[in-house]
Amino acid sequence: MAETSLYVHRATRSPAEAANWDRRQVILNNLRSVAGRAYPRVRGISREKSWLAFEILLPFLSTSAFVFVYRALKAPPEYIGFVVLGGAMTAFWLNVVWMMAAQLYWDKDQGNLELFFAAPMDVMSVLFGMAIGGLVMSSTRAAAVLLIATVLYGVQFAVSQWFLLLLVFFLTLSALYGMGMALSSLFLMWGREAWHLTQLMVEPVYFISGLNFPVGRLGMIGALAIATIPLAVGLDAMRQLAFATGPGPTGTPPPAVEALILVVMTVVFIWVARLMLRSLERRARQEGRLSARGR
Amino acid sequence: MTATSSMTAAAKARENAGRFDPSRVPDTDTGHLWRSFLTAARLGWLMEANWTDPVLFFIYSVAKPLASTFILVFMLEVIGGAAGRDFRGFVVLGSALWAFVISGMSGLAQSILEDRERYRMLKYLYVSPSDFIVVLLGRGVARIGVGAMGALITLIVGIVVLGIRFDIGAVDWPLLVVVMIGGLASIVAFGIVMAAVCMQTRQEAWSYPEAAAGALFLVVGAVFPLSVLPAAAQVLGLLNPLTWWLGGARQALFPGGQTSIGGPGSVFAEVFGHDRPTSGEIVVALLLTGALVTLASSLIFRVSDRRAKEQGLIDRTTGT
Repeated sequence: MAETSLYVHRATRSPAEAANWDRRQVILNNLRSVAGRAYPRVRGISREKSWLAFEILLPFLSTSAFVFVYRALKAPPEYIGFVVLGGAMTAFWLNVVWMMAAQLYWDKDQGNLELFFAAPMDVMSVLFGMAIGGLVMSSTRAAAVLLIATVLYGVQFAVSQWFLLLLVFFLTLSALYGMGMALSSLFLMWGREAWHLTQLMVEPVYFISGLNFPVGRLGMIGALAIATIPLAVGLDAMRQLAFATGPGPTGTPPPAVEALILVVMTVVFIWVARLMLRSLERRARQEGRLSARGR
Repeated sequence: MTATSSMTAAAKARENAGRFDPSRVPDTDTGHLWRSFLTAARLGWLMEANWTDPVLFFIYSVAKPLASTFILVFMLEVIGGAAGRDFRGFVVLGSALWAFVISGMSGLAQSILEDRERYRMLKYLYVSPSDFIVVLLGRGVARIGVGAMGALITLIVGIVVLGIRFDIGAVDWPLLVVVMIGGLASIVAFGIVMAAVCMQTRQEAWSYPEAAAGALFLVVGAVFPLSVLPAAAQVLGLLNPLTWWLGGARQALFPGGQTSIGGPGSVFAEVFGHDRPTSGEIVVALLLTGALVTLASSLIFRVSDRRAKEQGLIDRTTGT
């Protein structure tokens, strides 16, 4: 009786013919790879209890510190909302830096990278799986910070265009994770500097992205951040949309234009990620050094 | 007597035969502990810095604390404008000193994670004749050194670029020395607690120490006076040695400047009957709370250590 599965679903006359997969097999295999890579991250949410304290409660307290800075300065209430929104979005940024950009490097150290390159799949599936799993993980933290802080600090949102706000939010996430996918190959090539790069990509990026204040106040640096960092442009667009009665124009483009910037970023980052991964894969196979640990 | 003599003779016989004698391993004398500490500190420093260009390493080391300070300075500028500049010294000093806390808390914890998950050497370090906690402390020292560099550069930038008024002749040096020693000891104690936590957790605990430091940031008056917090949070802050360390450092470096601990309507003012703590009160409170945290950290580490041995966590590797 003929066996039917993803790998053997048609009768073939030789192993060589069996190895020649059709389009359906390739797509299903890659979808399974995406699901397989996302699985440990999604399941990890419920398996590691310390995560609740260290990924939700403590970052919320950290965000609260900036709320109290504004309270000490008697700032308008919209600024408290800015901090809360920024605090929620940091969950995604930290996930992109630690669990996307640096992930292939950690995988190399753990010995998984060579398995990824050897497995019969597109390595982009691994990156998509990492992104989807990480996104689910971070969403819970972001939602918790946003919800608790909104209730506790009485944040008043004034949303004028819900559809555009949601669109900008999802575009920000896709651009952020696209950037993480592109950075993962770069971090892998930079090797041992990956750790320090992750450090360099937290507070300095928070600063130039205007995490706790309107990015437009940074002048030329802010404009550069809007052109290159999804966190900066996404946060600015979401603030304009979520606090429509806020502190007025800050010199940044309107949300619709920023949404277009995010679309361009998403496409470019994913294309760059694919390009770099192809190059890495070729080097890994030709030189056989890329997956060597400790480099 | 006869038995002791025969055991000594047996040990000598083994020594003569060139065999390993566990009873001769010098595991408790001070010289041995000091050597272990220095070796671990040197190893930590080499792991931190030996692979990169010194200029690049310098940029990595100071970018983080400088950026944190600039975030706060811009928040002041956006809201307070010129009026907010009086608050700059308060914010810059708190933010600069916080670099010590982050590096101190993360240094020990991350040495556990690095050695267990990346280099897979923790099990060998653990069974080596060196005291495990001494090795960890040594490894953590390197990162505290990097934090110190970041703090110093941030202060210099604050004075030179941001125009903070600072009079070196007015510095209360004895108070500064005492609070810095007490503060660093407390930071190391918090680092030991984080190391104990990371012995129990999975690989993705890399960011846990910073998350814990971020939470402490809220209640210690690092960048705003405690008096703006609810009373219960102020009490938590007053029980924390880092609050007294930061308050003491502010009092020593900027005598007569804004206090982070007291102020009108604060819990401190209500309990002690005056607006700002004296130097003596700061030192006593720092020593008392620091001693409590140190004892607690020692206890927590022992419990974690025992559980790690029982559960086989010393050589566990994880990942998502």
